[in-house]
Amino acid sequence: MEIIEEKQDGVHIFKLAGRLDSNTSQGFETAIFQAISDGSKKIAIDFKELDYISSAGLRVILKATKAVNREDGKIMLCAMQDYVKEVFEIAGFDSFLPIVATVDEALTQL
Amino acid sequence: MKKKAYFFELKNCLSELDTLCENLEKYGRQIGLSPKMIFELNLALDELFTNIISYGLKDDRDHLIRITLTPEKEVLGLCVEDDGIAFDPTECDQPDVSCSVSQCKIGGLGIHIINKLMDEICYERCGNKNILRLKKRFIKNGS
Repeated sequence: MEIIEEKQDGVHIFKLAGRLDSNTSQGFETAIFQAISDGSKKIAIDFKELDYISSAGLRVILKATKAVNREDGKIMLCAMQDYVKEVFEIAGFDSFLPIVATVDEALTQL
Repeated sequence: MKKKAYFFELKNCLSELDTLCENLEKYGRQIGLSPKMIFELNLALDELFTNIISYGLKDDRDHLIRITLTPEKEVLGLCVEDDGIAFDPTECDQPDVSCSVSQCKIGGLGIHIINKLMDEICYERCGNKNILRLKKRFIKNGS
């Protein structure tokens, strides 16, 4: 899996590409928690190039969301492919995690 | 559609998830499975495999997890065999997935996903082996 990080308008953006599973989730967890401990409170995760996610990936996203919420920050999830979105729906995570269609939409809401 | 069974073995390390994906894509294409079917099979088998590696095989020895796929008339049969500690995923409590961020717990989520994606799950402990048989109705292309 590839993780590209950039900052735009004070928002820390993570662009994920490839597969987020139990073999790769540790790398993403390290990266996102580094950003949180460095003080990022507005985070957008761009799923456009992410082809696959398992419960291990969902776990990292939930954990990061809880950590950011504690700091009065916000995480938004953007541009999910249909199959990936379906995994969030099966897990019931779509009911409480903010999922939007594009990164631009996330930037205006953060 | 060919009615031949297909099997492969995975070593007990998480990097074998890539091997799982490669095998499913290769076999899925051979028998004409839809991309959605391949994705869902991959996810269910990933969750099972990750559970086996994380909880079932705690010693330092090498193990092989054997996965067999058998196309039947209306369903694809799956069989997952490992020699880890006895574990029956059909006996697990369902997590509450209708909750808020602060209440949501992760335990059992993998098994919840497997139950959602599979149409039939049957567990058997046979000697020192866990044998899990699953069935999934074919998803047609385009659906």
